[in-house]
Parts: sequence; C-alpha cells; structure tokens
Amino acid sequence: MSLIDHLAQWINWPRFIFSVTLIFFLTSILFPFYWMVSSSFKTYAEIGGRAPVYIPGDLRPEAYLELFDFWNFGANIANSLKVAVPTALIAVILSTLGAYAVARLNFKGKNVMLNGILIVYLFPGILLIIPLFAMVSRIGVSIGFEIQDNLSVLILTYLAQTLPVALYMLANYFRTIPAEIEQAGLIDGCSRVSVIWRVTLPLAVPALISVAIYTFMIAWNEFLYALVFLNSRDLFTMPIKINTIFNDPSPRPHVVMAASTIMTLPVVTLFLALERFLAEGLTAGGVKG
Amino acid sequence: MTVSTKDSRSSFSRRWNSMNAREARLAWALILPTALIVFGLILFPAVFSVWISFRDVGLKNLNDVFQAPFVGLDNYRAVINDFAFKWQGWQSWGAAVTSIVYSFSATILTMIIGLIASLLLNRPFRARGLARAIFLFPYVAPIVSIAFVWRWILDPRPSGVLNDILMKLSLIELPKAYLATRGLALVLVIIFTAWRYFPFAMLMILARLQAIDNTMYEAADVDGANAWHKFLYITIPELRYVLGSIFLLRLIWTFNKFDDIYLLTGGGFGTNVLPVLTYQFSFGSFNFGKGAANAMILLIILVVFLLIYVSTIMRSAEE
Repeated sequence: MSLIDHLAQWINWPRFIFSVTLIFFLTSILFPFYWMVSSSFKTYAEIGGRAPVYIPGDLRPEAYLELFDFWNFGANIANSLKVAVPTALIAVILSTLGAYAVARLNFKGKNVMLNGILIVYLFPGILLIIPLFAMVSRIGVSIGFEIQDNLSVLILTYLAQTLPVALYMLANYFRTIPAEIEQAGLIDGCSRVSVIWRVTLPLAVPALISVAIYTFMIAWNEFLYALVFLNSRDLFTMPIKINTIFNDPSPRPHVVMAASTIMTLPVVTLFLALERFLAEGLTAGGVKG
Repeated sequence: MTVSTKDSRSSFSRRWNSMNAREARLAWALILPTALIVFGLILFPAVFSVWISFRDVGLKNLNDVFQAPFVGLDNYRAVINDFAFKWQGWQSWGAAVTSIVYSFSATILTMIIGLIASLLLNRPFRARGLARAIFLFPYVAPIVSIAFVWRWILDPRPSGVLNDILMKLSLIELPKAYLATRGLALVLVIIFTAWRYFPFAMLMILARLQAIDNTMYEAADVDGANAWHKFLYITIPELRYVLGSIFLLRLIWTFNKFDDIYLLTGGGFGTNVLPVLTYQFSFGSFNFGKGAANAMILLIILVVFLLIYVSTIMRSAEE
C-alpha cells in the first residue's frame, strides 16, 4: 500500500513518458542480445519446435560442442585474433608517429595531406574492393605465387581503413597536451625522439588505448574484405565462418547464435569496461560504421 | 662561377640544416608510412577503378588486367540497361532508386531515434552511465551476429519469435515471411539500420546538448515558456549544426553500406541497393568492368548530392 502511495506521489506525466520510453529503448536493444545468448543454449529440439522457447530449459552446451568439434571454430577465433591484434598494434604505432607530426610539426603540404587522408575516408569499401582484388591477383602473378588467400592482405586493407580516423583522433589528443611541456624537455637537452617517448606518449595513454580498441573492433567485425579475399576454409575469420554456418543447407540457428555470442562477447565486454573514454573517441573520430 | 656555386651550395646546406627544414623532414618521415598505406590502398585503387570501369575485365584476364581491352562506355550502358539497376515502375524500383529511398529514410529515422535517445540520457537519473553503455550495444556489436539474430527473430516459421508474439496478441493470423515480402522487407531493413546506427547520432547530439548554456533555459522559465517551446526554440536551433553534420555523415555511410542489406536479405525482395549490386556484378557474375562502372555510378550520385548539399544547405546556414 505504501509502495503504491509512494509511486502515485512520484509519478507525473513527464516522468511517466520518460519511464515508458526508457523501458521501450532498453527492451528493444537488449532483447536481440538476450535472444542470441539464450538461443545458443537451446537444444536442436528446442530450436526446431513448433513454438519458440523463451527460456531454455537448461544451460546446455550442445551448440557450443558442435561449433568446436564439428565446425572447428577454434581455428576461426585464432584467425580473427591473428588479424585484429596486429592491425591494432600497427595502427597505434603508425598513427602515433603521423599524428605527432600533424599536431606538433610544421611542414609544407600538411593541410593537403590531411584533407587527402580524410577525403579518402568517404570512398565506399565496395568501390575499392574491385581494384584491390585485381591488384592482388596481378601482384600474385608477378611474384609467382597466390597472395590472395593471405591474412596479411587483410591486415593491410584494415590498416588503410582505420589509419585516417586513428590519425585524426590522436592528433586531436596531442593538441590538448601543452607544447610547453615538450619545450621544457627540449631545453633540458633531450632529443625530439626522447621527448616524444618520455613526455608525450605517457600522457597520451588513454587515447592510445582507445585507438587500439577501436581498430581492433573494426578488424574483428569486418565482413566484406574478408568475404572477398579469403577462399580457403582454414583461413576464414569468424564473420565469414558464421556466414558459412548460416548458409548450411540444414539450418542450425542455435550454432549460429553460439558463434555470434562468442564473437560479440569480447567486444561488448571491452566496451562496457572502457565505455567512458571510448564513447568520446567514437564521436571525436566519427567512427565509420 | 666557382664562387657562386659555393655560395648556393652553402645556402642550400644552410637551408637543409635549418631548424625548420629538419623539422619538416622529421614530419615527413613520421607521416610517410601512414600516407603510403592510405594512398596506396585507397587513393590508387580509387583511380584504378575508374580505369577498370572502361575495360572488359573478367576472371579470365584478371591476372593480366593492364592489358584488358578498352570498351568505352559499354560497361556503363550495360549497368544502366540492367533490369536490376533501372526503375521499372512501382513494382520494381531498381537498385538506384531503392538506394536513394533507403539511405534517406534510414538516415532520417536514425536521427529521430538518436535525438529521442539523447534527450532521454540528458536527464539525470540513477544508473545513467550504465544505460548509456547499453544504448551503444547495437553500434559496437559485430554486424554479422546482429544481422543473424534479427533474421532469427524475424524467422518466417510460426516458431519465429516475432511471429509467435504477434499471433499471441492476435495482431496477425498467419505467420509472415518478413524479409521475403516486397515492401515490408525494405521497411524492416530501414528500421534495422536505424536501430543499429542511432547510437552514433545519440552520442554526437548528447555532446552538444551538454554544451548548451543553461541560462537560456532559465531565462525561458522566467518568461513562462513550457517544455515544448523550450525544445522548439532553444534546443533545436542549438542542435542545428550537429544535426546537419550527422545527416551528412550518416547519409554517405548508409549509401555506401554493403554488409547490412547483404546479410539481412541478400538484396532480394525489393531491397537491392547499389553496393550489393556492385558485389553481385563483380563477384557473382565476375564481370569486374561492369561492377566498377556500377560503383562509379554510386560515387557520382553521392558527389552530386554532396555538391547540392554544400551549395544549398551550407549557404543558407551561413546567411
């Protein structure tokens, strides 16, 4: 009774509309994720029944067992890591160098270069994939062996996709670090390189982490380039393997959902853990999505 | 003679060793790897794809692409006359019109939902940080998992969860094949796009909302304005520029987007858009010349739109 009284006192029209909208948003966002995780724990009988099972009877790992034993999904996880981790590391190193030059040094052609790098960011991936595909097969002929089925080709293309934004995000961050701190180091006799290494980089650690995670996420999630460039099943990254399982003649939604859960979990966890400064990075760079 | 050479050499070496020149060389050395990768893997391919669009390139001569025969505008003609591309009345829109309708309506819906979400999160309440993180889930989760979950939710069998819910509420009598019904499929793809990308709009708007000077609202309170008037006459004008840039960015990206529609419908049932059609030409029928021509048409439409946008909207915003 007192609870209802309390509620009746608290509620008014704005609060009511606010709560209803918030609940609507939360359910429509969270339900698909709930459906993904819960479906991955259903058995084939529960998945193929006449009515949907809203809560799986038990946490049965049937789908996960099939995924690893029959589909050999472990190899695909490894492939995705082999692509995403190097992409993130190389992108951080290269964009740190470039962003430092853009933020701190003056050189002719800086603005042309910056605008050029940002404009290419508007080119659709689908436009670039045809010439890239042709270039890769042409180079394969020149050097005498097939380089198409190669994870390092993917790493290079992901770097090209992510470096412009990474450069932009980091350059903006470097500009917020006062140049006077560096000048003090230079006056004390440090070289430019040691000033960067000992002064600027330690201050930029949050931005470096968010660039690393952002490039990791892009490489981890990417679908089109992997679909076109990878032919052999042993090299499939997770998105391509999930697409293959989905298109299997006998539908196996619970296995697809198990694979999707495995692929989504690390990204969402990383994001929840580091949400505060990742969200800033997303808007600062206008992460392409 | 010798004196002048010596002179110019020393002035050259002075310039070469000057502080500015050394700084410029360091800058170029630092930015060179990034520039090489970006220009080599984006700018050169972009120019190269113009070249391919005028050539007959198939699987046979892909290895020898620089010798591919020149065919003039044949590829462009083939694309424009293709039944998958051109408008053939209301029953079959063709990819060009579908692309334009899809990207405009998805962008506008994305912005409306993003605006509502940002207004929600702009109010202080308990666990607001957590709510904000959850609101970002659709945007950060992998597209493959998200697309397949939605296909599984929209499963056409009676055991599909949306079918089951709607039948229990007796909103529909028979199960529907949502993504295999012309019209409905396009609407659902648009809703899906808005669901997935509204967090981007939300974050940008939220950042701007938090920068609005609170004294304006206080002054409006003194004048006796209600919440709706405050929204209409303070919030919206303050958001004008950020809304403009979100519209531009999202429109470009939605227009270029391949994954979402390819994974949801494969481009079937009236949802075929230009990026998916480009993929089908190039990697379905292995006609790379035609695919490149299609991609160039996509780019031309985009550039024409950008020019119109810059010359009308931006100019009127300046005035």
